[in-house]
Formats: sequence, structure tokens, C-alpha cells
Amino acid sequence: MAEHTQQATSQVLLREMGISDAAIERRLTIVGFEPADLPRIAALKGVVVAHASECMEVFFTHLSKLDEAKVLLSSPALLDKARRLKRDHLLAMVQGDYGARYVEQRLELGALYAKVGLDARVFLGAFHALLKHVGSLVMKELERTPIAGFESFMSLTKIAFFDISLIVDILVFERERIIRQQQEAIRELSTPVLQIRERLLLLPIIGVIDTHRARLITESLLRSVRANRAKVVVMDVTGVATIDSRVANHILQTVLAARLMGAHVIVTGLSAEVAQSLVALGIELSKLDTVGDLQGGLEEAERILGYRVIATEGGAPPALGAT
Amino acid sequence: MAVPLLKQGDVLIASIQAALTDQDLVQLREDIADRVGRFRSRGVVIDVTSLDVLDSFATRTLRSIAYTAKLRGANTVVVGIQPDVAFAMVQLGLALEGIATALDLEEGLAHLDALATEGRHRAR
Repeated sequence: MAEHTQQATSQVLLREMGISDAAIERRLTIVGFEPADLPRIAALKGVVVAHASECMEVFFTHLSKLDEAKVLLSSPALLDKARRLKRDHLLAMVQGDYGARYVEQRLELGALYAKVGLDARVFLGAFHALLKHVGSLVMKELERTPIAGFESFMSLTKIAFFDISLIVDILVFERERIIRQQQEAIRELSTPVLQIRERLLLLPIIGVIDTHRARLITESLLRSVRANRAKVVVMDVTGVATIDSRVANHILQTVLAARLMGAHVIVTGLSAEVAQSLVALGIELSKLDTVGDLQGGLEEAERILGYRVIATEGGAPPALGAT
Repeated sequence: MAVPLLKQGDVLIASIQAALTDQDLVQLREDIADRVGRFRSRGVVIDVTSLDVLDSFATRTLRSIAYTAKLRGANTVVVGIQPDVAFAMVQLGLALEGIATALDLEEGLAHLDALATEGRHRAR
């Protein structure tokens, strides 16, 4: 069961990272792998399979000398798994089949490195030690034909570099995962639609608007217009530093769509920079009702809805809960 | 399927219940043009709440209904455009320029009332 989940995880990774069969083919081409390499690698099969465990030990011995790999080495369960996967890796390297299954196995090991925070530089150091050991074994085995031995080893190196590219990619991908998740969270959190009076909605927008977020804003605004039976919406963009033509266009479309639903949208807080850049871009905003600041926008909205705010004589003390 | 036209005081209400063919839309325009004069209506409300899609022909016909009714002395309000429909229309460049829109039937009637009140003020 656990094994099955593992496999599913690396398959998901394969999909998320967009590594298709064509992409694998491409990666092999990039490292210069060609059919002629296959027999040369096959010539090394015997020696590598015979010494697989020994080579794997070299990799982890090198890691054990490095402080950066402490997390991996201090967890027996993860270390066991890494050792098993690394040994499988060595065996797979000389099998001659470098398709999706092979890449999945690399990603599984890479994901484990990412989990224990093993950086690319640390991995590369240990991997180099391992290659060096394999190289010296190969040269010893084929000492009578050093040229052939060297060529075979260089063919194997192509696969090694192919593996390195995958490991580095997954380490970067996993690191960026956090960034992606946070961006998602920010987007979800940052489009509140607030009702501040009967039939009056406030939509404060803060931060950067991209196409994806613009769509979220549109959706939540139009839905809220219906749910709250809004007649006027004040869209405040004081917190938006830049607006490009695409986003401006999207805002315009949202405003027109809201109008089709019978709601009037007032846009407030266009900063001096934004206003100038919109004019410079030549964006047609005459269909927008804009008011300088949020206060002015709210007053205009109240006027449309027929509210009149009157200050009472002397005001009243704030209502405090306990006292 | 013909669209039922309901007379409510001096307002004519067209409540669209199901997707309309182009033929139905043309029929609706003829019916409204006729009834507005017969009932001496001062307003027309077209309720499109149940429509999932408003294409270019429907939009154009709604606009021509509004202009026709205006020439016969009645203001038109289109009510109940769904959020998705509204955004799709705007993306396709099908904004209903020059036509009043409102959230639902109630709002549409209130809008027509406001127009009538304004008209009386101006007449005074």
C-alpha cells in the first residue's frame, strides 16, 4: 500500500512538472545521448551490478562527512529508503531503459532529498564521488582496452547528467511549491466584498492584479451583487501600485457586467501614477465612474442611494462591551 | 415558445421562461410593440432570469425592442441577467448600451417608478 502511494506521488510529480514522454526524449537529446551509447553502457552492466552496493556506500559515506546532510542521516527510516533507492538507481542506470518509469524513480529520490533539505550542491558532491568510484572500477575492469573503457564510462556519464538535471529540477520545483501555495493563499484572501450599507458594497483591492486574480475579483463581485442585492459598488484601488492595459480592460469589463446586472460601480483611489499610465496607454475609461478617494466614492454612493449622513450634536461615547 | 406578456397597472411584463429561438424573439418584439400601444403602457420589464445565454441576436433584438417601445412611449428595463451571462456578454462586446438594466423584477419596477416620478416633476 505504502509502495503504491509512493509510486502515485512520483507520478503526480511527473505530471505537475510537465515531464511528458516527449520531454524525456528531449532531455536525453540535450545530454547528447544516442543509440550508440546503449551497447557501451551494456558493457558496464556486469561491473556496476556486481559493485552496486559498494558504490552506494561511497555516496553515503561522502554525505556522512558533510554537516549539510545531517537531517537525512539522522533519520534511519529515510536513510534506509534513500539507500535502497540509490542502489536501485545504480542498477537502473545500466539497464538501458530511460523512459517514464526511470524518470519516476529519479523523481521519487529527488523528492526525498527535497524533503530532508538536501541542497543541489551537497547532492552533486556526493554524486561526483560516486561517479569517480564507478569510473575507477570501470577502468580497472577494462584496463586492457582503456579507450573503450573511457568511452563506455562517458556514455554512462551522459545518463548521470540526465539524472542530475532531473534532481536539480525537482529540488527547485519543490522549493517553489511553497511560493506557489502562498501566492494562491494571498489570492484567495485578498478579494473580500464587504457590505457597508443596505445595497452598497465595498470592494477594496490591494496588491498586484494579474489576469487570474482579476477573474477572481470579477466572479466574487458579480456573485455578491446578486447575493446582497447591491445597487452601488465602490471599487477602491488605492492599494494597487500598477495597472496595465490587460488589467484595466478586465476592470472595465467587470464594471460593464455589473451594470448589466443593474449595479452601478464607482472606482476610487486611482493613484497619480496609475492615472497617468492609463491615459498614456490610451485606455478608454470614459465608461467608468471614477471618484478621487474612497471617502468621496462612499459619499457619491450614498447620494445615489438617497442616504444623508447627519452628525448628531456632540456625538456619542463609543459603546464598550464590558464597562 | 411564445413569451407571456403580463399587464401590471401601466407596466407590461415579459417573463421569459425558457431558451428562445430567433423566431420567438422577433415574435416578442411584435407583441410588445402592439401591446404597449393597446394598453397605453408607460414601461416594459423584460425578465431574462432563466436564460443561461444571451447571444448577439438576442442582444440586438432586446435593443430594438427597447427602441421600439420608446417610440411608442414606454421605457424598457431588462432585469435578471445572471452573473456569468453578464460577464460573457461583456467579453463578447455585447453591452446593452442605452438600455436600462436592473437586478430583478422588483428593482426594474422601482426604476420605472423613479422615471415616472421624475417625468411628473419635470412636467410641473
